[in-house]
Amino acid sequence: MIDFLISIFEHFVDPKKRIFLGYIILSLVIAFIWLIFIKKFSLNDAFSKVFDKRIFFSKSSKSDYLIFLLNRVFTLFISPMLITQIVIATFIFHALHQITWLDVNMFKEVPKTIIVGLFTLFIFLLDDLTKYFVHRWMHKYPILWALHKVHHSATELTPLTIYRTHPLEGIVFSLRSAFTQGLAISVFFFLFGDKVSLATVLGVNVVIFLFNVAGSNLRHSHIGIRYWRWLEFILISPAQHQLHHSIAKEHHDKNFGATLALWDWIFKSLHYSTDTEKLTLGLDENQTSKEHSLYTIYISPVVEVIEIIRTKIISSYQNIKKIIYQFLKIKRQIKKKLISQRKDNTNVKI
Amino acid sequence: MTMKKSKLTTLAVIFASCSALASQAISDTTYGPFPITVKGYTGTKTNSVSYTGQMARHVLHDSLKKLAGTGTGEANPALEAEMMAYFSGSKKNKAIIAPVSKDGFKLKQTLVNSISSGKNLSGKSYKGVVNGWPGQMTGAEVLEHMIKKAASAKGGFDPNTGYNYPQLISKFAMGAVFYNQAVDNYLDEKLGADNKPNAKPYKDGAYYSGKEHVWDEGFGYWGAAANALNLSAKENYEVAKMKNFTAADFNNDGEVDLKTEMTFAHAYYASSYDKGGKTNYLHTVTKAFVDGRELISAANSKNLTDAQRDQLVGYAAVISSNWEKVIAESVFKYAGSVYKDIGKLEGLLDSNGDTTKAFANYCKHWGELKGFSMAIQSGKNNLGETAVKMNRMIGFGPVLLNASQVTGINSSGEFLKDEALSWGEYKLHMLKIQKLMIDAFGVEARANDQTEGLAALAASLGTSESAEND
Repeated sequence: MIDFLISIFEHFVDPKKRIFLGYIILSLVIAFIWLIFIKKFSLNDAFSKVFDKRIFFSKSSKSDYLIFLLNRVFTLFISPMLITQIVIATFIFHALHQITWLDVNMFKEVPKTIIVGLFTLFIFLLDDLTKYFVHRWMHKYPILWALHKVHHSATELTPLTIYRTHPLEGIVFSLRSAFTQGLAISVFFFLFGDKVSLATVLGVNVVIFLFNVAGSNLRHSHIGIRYWRWLEFILISPAQHQLHHSIAKEHHDKNFGATLALWDWIFKSLHYSTDTEKLTLGLDENQTSKEHSLYTIYISPVVEVIEIIRTKIISSYQNIKKIIYQFLKIKRQIKKKLISQRKDNTNVKI
Repeated sequence: MTMKKSKLTTLAVIFASCSALASQAISDTTYGPFPITVKGYTGTKTNSVSYTGQMARHVLHDSLKKLAGTGTGEANPALEAEMMAYFSGSKKNKAIIAPVSKDGFKLKQTLVNSISSGKNLSGKSYKGVVNGWPGQMTGAEVLEHMIKKAASAKGGFDPNTGYNYPQLISKFAMGAVFYNQAVDNYLDEKLGADNKPNAKPYKDGAYYSGKEHVWDEGFGYWGAAANALNLSAKENYEVAKMKNFTAADFNNDGEVDLKTEMTFAHAYYASSYDKGGKTNYLHTVTKAFVDGRELISAANSKNLTDAQRDQLVGYAAVISSNWEKVIAESVFKYAGSVYKDIGKLEGLLDSNGDTTKAFANYCKHWGELKGFSMAIQSGKNNLGETAVKMNRMIGFGPVLLNASQVTGINSSGEFLKDEALSWGEYKLHMLKIQKLMIDAFGVEARANDQTEGLAALAASLGTSESAEND
């Protein structure tokens, strides 16, 4: 119980967490600036808009809060069982010793500032790129989509919607993170030795810190901040991510990026932001409040995954049966042909 | 019921924490004196503690190590005979070559027989086959073979094989004699009810009972000073290094008595790890010895009950497992040293620098690694796969600069060499040995940890647990 309460508390006081109170407050400031100075809202209107109780007390948001709490419990049990970044890093670090053209500490002479800068940038880019691909696969493969649609079933977005994640999906995300960190630290430690460290602010990667300070919490919110068109090629604006949650067909499979829009641009899944007021969020138009029930959130995806696997097995079995049938058919035909040939030969001798 | 359980758990945690704290604290307990309990003893002794034979073996070992480094590079039968005198024993009262008094650290004894006479190392060496060394020899045979080779090696170092004999002899003997005798003999079968029973003197006319002396002998091989629990790990370390006379001279007689006031062998290595603050091997082992001896003394020369013997076996288990970990810490440490040394050698080879000193250092550390890896296999546990992995990864010899390595021995006892692994692969073996010591023995001090930076870097990134949708 104490671990659970500490875990909840940590999420609001640890600058490594997205919903650190400092980031939330800065996001609020940015939201007010956007509404008052860009959208020309009065202070009262801006206040009503930001703290819209229809959003924060909606069924969707209430289920977000509950999932956030329940997932902390799941995480406490699941986390110790997952492979950690240090295990992966050790494995890769060992493997690097077998590459003959690489030497331990071969770039040790490079100035520390450059090493720290390179490492900080590399780990950010690798992390963001792998997030892009895992997110893309979450939408592409039916088994993964069965899990990821829990997140997309939110019809209102609040900063806590990031925790609207099925525990099995959380495992996939944790493995991605462990792999990314393990790869980055092992390669850099191998090449640069003890000089490697992360450029941090409050213990957080400086790039991630800037991303969070710049209002990362607004991605999952009802404040549709848009960037200049040119910037939306590089960074994903809150409105671009909100568009990713839209049920409109033309918005499907767009804007998978976490921080950078570059990946979406390169891999052709970029969509500029639109007026978010016109967007309907969720899975489809006929979505009911059932989508926010705990059964639908936690159990249905597992049932769906099992069903997909069962169907796959049955169809594979059918295919194997077909192949065996075809094989036996060909075998029978060959046998028939051989017998008739033998008969012909016998007739010739007579 | 649940409430009761949780309260019990809390109490257990508090108790365990207090015990842990107590075990780290410096105690005022010493190993002895303990009263004479043997019935009918009429002599003048008042202290039943006796482990002088073991302390004599410690000085024989230290002296042998010192002699092993004095070869001139030519065949030297006299040196070989002198070394054998310390290994197999001598009728003469031999001088203690190490340790010897120095300014500010006066030792009480200068002759081996002043501690105990008629003692040797050869008779107490590991009787099994030593798999980590070529030739399928027993412990005593391996040590004798090393002594022969050391006698003709300049400074005890043979650059052709990379063998540093003082290190190989010393580290292996520490396992093959001290560790083996203690954990596989005195703390093992000799704790049996019918073996050296406590109701009888150890031998006719002895002033100590069977179990009293069995336990004392085990303690003697451990190598700690009788007052080790009164000193911090750092002070015990300084005593072994002869740098802290005040700590060493427990009875304030102006001399350090090698029988009771010196730190030797495994106890020294335990103190070297403990002073880093992560482990408490020296006090844990020494405390278990003291507690066990108190238990035996309290039995007052009556046979131990099953419950008492179980408790004693429990102390022995604490001693054996921690002792094994101390040796594993050394394997870990020197695998790290060898890894670093190879890095330095590679740098020098790349820049066409002089490798003489770096190569000698590398071979010295390799000798320590090899010696300790053979020592840890001399205990009572069959290390099975762990031993196989360790022996194969370290090899019979260090990888040499000409990419060769000792791979065996011929019928004349000469070493055979063949093509070796690449430096990269050998370095990887060192990393794997460090990992093996963690996985198989749970080493905690981890001196010279070559992946410590990796772990620190991982820690700086925080947990990889990330159950959130960005």
